[in-house]
Amino acid sequence: MALIKIRDLVKKFGAHTVLDGVNLDLQKGEMKVVMGPSGCGKSTLLRCINRLVEPTSGTILVRDQDIMGAEVDVRALRQSIGFVFQQFALYRHLTVLGNVMLGLRKLRGMSRAEAEAQALFQLNHLEMAAHRDKYPSQISGGQKQRVAIARALAMDPAVVVFDEPTSALDPVMVREVADLFNRLNREGVTLLCVTHDLALARHIANRVIFLDQGVIRADDTLENLAKHHPNDQVRVFFGEKEGQS
Amino acid sequence: MNGWSGFQRDLLEQMPLILAGLRQTLQLTVIISVTGFFFGLVVFYFSNSPYRWVRSLIRGYISFFIGTPLIVLLFLMYYGLPQWGLKLSPFLVAVIGFTMNVAAYNAAYLTTARNGLDPSEIESARAQGFGRGQIFRWITLPQVLRLSVPALTNQCIGNLKDSSVAFLIQYTEFFARIQELAATNFQFFKAYLLAAAVYLGLVSILVLVARQVEKWTRLPGLGR
Repeated sequence: MALIKIRDLVKKFGAHTVLDGVNLDLQKGEMKVVMGPSGCGKSTLLRCINRLVEPTSGTILVRDQDIMGAEVDVRALRQSIGFVFQQFALYRHLTVLGNVMLGLRKLRGMSRAEAEAQALFQLNHLEMAAHRDKYPSQISGGQKQRVAIARALAMDPAVVVFDEPTSALDPVMVREVADLFNRLNREGVTLLCVTHDLALARHIANRVIFLDQGVIRADDTLENLAKHHPNDQVRVFFGEKEGQS
Repeated sequence: MNGWSGFQRDLLEQMPLILAGLRQTLQLTVIISVTGFFFGLVVFYFSNSPYRWVRSLIRGYISFFIGTPLIVLLFLMYYGLPQWGLKLSPFLVAVIGFTMNVAAYNAAYLTTARNGLDPSEIESARAQGFGRGQIFRWITLPQVLRLSVPALTNQCIGNLKDSSVAFLIQYTEFFARIQELAATNFQFFKAYLLAAAVYLGLVSILVLVARQVEKWTRLPGLGR
């Protein structure tokens, strides 16, 4: 059973079609990478999965439940999907610990002690416990990302989705992010990552999905995409970029 | 500059009334600062309503009260409403008038501060599953209040000074008592200089408190 099953997903903003019939399956325990040039609809795709953006048509099943149904509790759905944003979007007025605790306290109704224990467990797991009392402005980009991941994991989500996880980081961080993703995935976390960073993709996945102009043009290994794909555009995207990185 | 002894005698004679007036001034300032703050929060909350008509109504409210001299509003209520059979005490008129006016200003400060928030934090909170009210309470408000501390405390200082306007609707606050003192001996310069010195002293105390509040509420990375 696929954890997430997307069929014929269309999203239009006015006359502009951003997603034009996307089909995608994500299995439990899988780490899937969606690639594509800027503006191809990657971020919109992620935002449709937790209904931050309302799809125009098509179906999205999360654990076999149609998330577009009228009876769906959107806020409960969102709690089951951990979302790590491109700029990490930590709450600036809260400490590292406060960022991870807020959802546990206010959404899960945990006591302060319970929430703190759970938050510290996740921060430890991501090697950020030593920074628990710092504010987001006092830690580095990579550390912010770890806090954002801890904040997502603390809610015990079915899947964690990443929107361009390396675009706000120093290029030398790519390997570190990749190692972290691989570790999380080995530990059983299901990940869905959209990126245009080929170096990251190479380190975390054999197969990638190529999204372009709202359509999935390929689902193959990086090598096949770079060398053997019939579409020039796809070969150029993967080949040229690979040459550069 | 003459007649110091006469002025001093009158001042001492009227001191109990002047002190009572000062108490009224401070009472009005504290009350309108508190009510103006909380009503300002309500106005601010609705300024981001999902309903367009509510947002328009709030914009209209803010524009009306910022665009109308407070004295007109006070006169309208104090001298105008009795013609419709509604007679309110000077104190009540002052509290209502100032509250509506101060709330409009406070809401405008908070709205400006909200424009400085990072929209991705709001989106992130929605993605985590927080509802509108929760986002307002736990994400927007704590940041916006911190960013607005200088504007909000300046408003309190303004409230103290502006409260002198209330003497025009027969509210016997400090300035009204000073008027009486001046009228007793015609020593206008001395009387008003005294009034200025007292206001300056009170404002100085408020400024010190305000700076302290700014220090307490400052957080690393939350711009000011």
